[in-house]
Amino acid sequence: MSERRGGGACVCVCARALASSVWCSTLYLTNLAKLVAALISDASKEQIPGQSVDNLALGTENMAGVACTDTATVKYISQEEARAIDQELYDDYGFSQEQLVELMGLACAHAIAKVYPVSSLPRKQRTVLVACGPGKNGACGLVCARHLKMFEFEPSIYYPKRPCRPLCQALTTQCEKLDIPFLSYLPMEVQLINDAYFFVVDAIFGSGFTGQVLEPFVNVINTLQQLRTPIISIDIPSGWPVDNFPVDGLSPTVLVSLGAPKVCSQHFSGKYHFVAGRYLPPDILRKYELNLPDYPNVDCVVSVL
Amino acid sequence: MLAWRSLVGSLALLVPGRCNSISVRGPSQEEAQSIDQELFSTAGFSVDQLMELAGLSCATAVARAFPLDTDTTKGRTVLVVCGPGNNGGDGLVCARHLKLFGYEPTVFYPKRPKKPLFQGLVTQCHTMEISFLDVLPQAEALSRTFSLVVDAIFGFGFSGEVREPFQSILSTICAATIPVASIDVPSGWDVEIGGSSHDLNPDVLISLTAPKRCTRNFHGRLHFLGGRFVPPTLAQNC
Repeated sequence: MSERRGGGACVCVCARALASSVWCSTLYLTNLAKLVAALISDASKEQIPGQSVDNLALGTENMAGVACTDTATVKYISQEEARAIDQELYDDYGFSQEQLVELMGLACAHAIAKVYPVSSLPRKQRTVLVACGPGKNGACGLVCARHLKMFEFEPSIYYPKRPCRPLCQALTTQCEKLDIPFLSYLPMEVQLINDAYFFVVDAIFGSGFTGQVLEPFVNVINTLQQLRTPIISIDIPSGWPVDNFPVDGLSPTVLVSLGAPKVCSQHFSGKYHFVAGRYLPPDILRKYELNLPDYPNVDCVVSVL
Repeated sequence: MLAWRSLVGSLALLVPGRCNSISVRGPSQEEAQSIDQELFSTAGFSVDQLMELAGLSCATAVARAFPLDTDTTKGRTVLVVCGPGNNGGDGLVCARHLKLFGYEPTVFYPKRPKKPLFQGLVTQCHTMEISFLDVLPQAEALSRTFSLVVDAIFGFGFSGEVREPFQSILSTICAATIPVASIDVPSGWDVEIGGSSHDLNPDVLISLTAPKRCTRNFHGRLHFLGGRFVPPTLAQNC
């Protein structure tokens, strides 16, 4: 019964959070009500969220055909190289940011679905919290959330700092139209997040991270660090220096590197590391000597662990 | 209401049986155009986005329908014939992803709109080392050179008579002895009624968003549903 008492305390916290939130919408209230009901219901759960990933079905049939490679041969690119590749894709290869963000976010959703096949998860174990930062990583998170919804996961988004750029506004609208709730408030109570979400997608900072973490992301990353819920980080674990050893910070279970793995991800010690970069033209692969493994079948992600 | 099955990791859903045997009321041309408009205006999608997802799902479907044959050089070769509108744009995206999947696509794109979107897609194909034909070979040469044709000429927006050069192009494709995979609607078909025995008879059809009414008359080998981006509220309106 201990989690039920804990659930009761969480209900009180939820109620206070609800009263003080600024961006409440009817939809948010409806979904939060469902969340609270689930916390205090007598419905039995086969799995308790936040426990080891090994308790969840990994669906080995989805992992079949995943080509692994010797990590010693894969190139880990610097922040500067990542920036240069992006710029070349726009300037020389004619890609638009809408296209690339769409392909990256879709690939992230695919990676998540590979590790946590939705068909093997009861409906109550499909809840995902997607924490989105203010830049491109956050935009990828929005795309990822939309595709997760299409895959029949149940994402909720926390997007506290929204740039006024048309792309980010459009991606937000697309998620809203899919009835994906946007949280106006990320609970600081870790147990609430552990209980409510079976996975967390860290889409806060990517390879453009300058090293400076402004609020509210200091608190957000601190909260995520304390979670037992498995974390999937997009591109780099948020808060890690792109080109260096991480002194402290998130320890995600899954890392999805965009394009190519970054220098800091050599220190990734989680269970699954995917590269989502099938969209890269052969000339880019050759020029930067990326030496990525072959993508299996028509997959848009490949494992490098 | 369109019933969505969740195929994790899959972008192309194989439609079981014929469309008129399952609970799908295919949208009319007008409804299809209205859905498209809503996707852009209300749901906030951009043409770039939807075209990228549509083209990727077409490439995925083609790869499932025609698994890569690496034993012969011809087994990889695909001719992608692109029309002057969005269906052609879907074809350009499809060609690029087929190249990434290991196929050897060649594009024939005789009428190119001067819009940045399409010019960007052409650039992306060029930089992927995808060849563009100046002239469409005759049916016999086409059948010797390529293992299949992707028909990305006309989509659900097509109406009226087929004008040149596409009348001749469709005749050539019809006379070729290699299979055809059509994107959204077999080109030249009446979007509401279907095609006649003289029209294109594709082996594979990839319907985008929802199968159109005319696809009740599709009797080819495989019918895929691609482009999983319709919000549930919009799907309920179908």
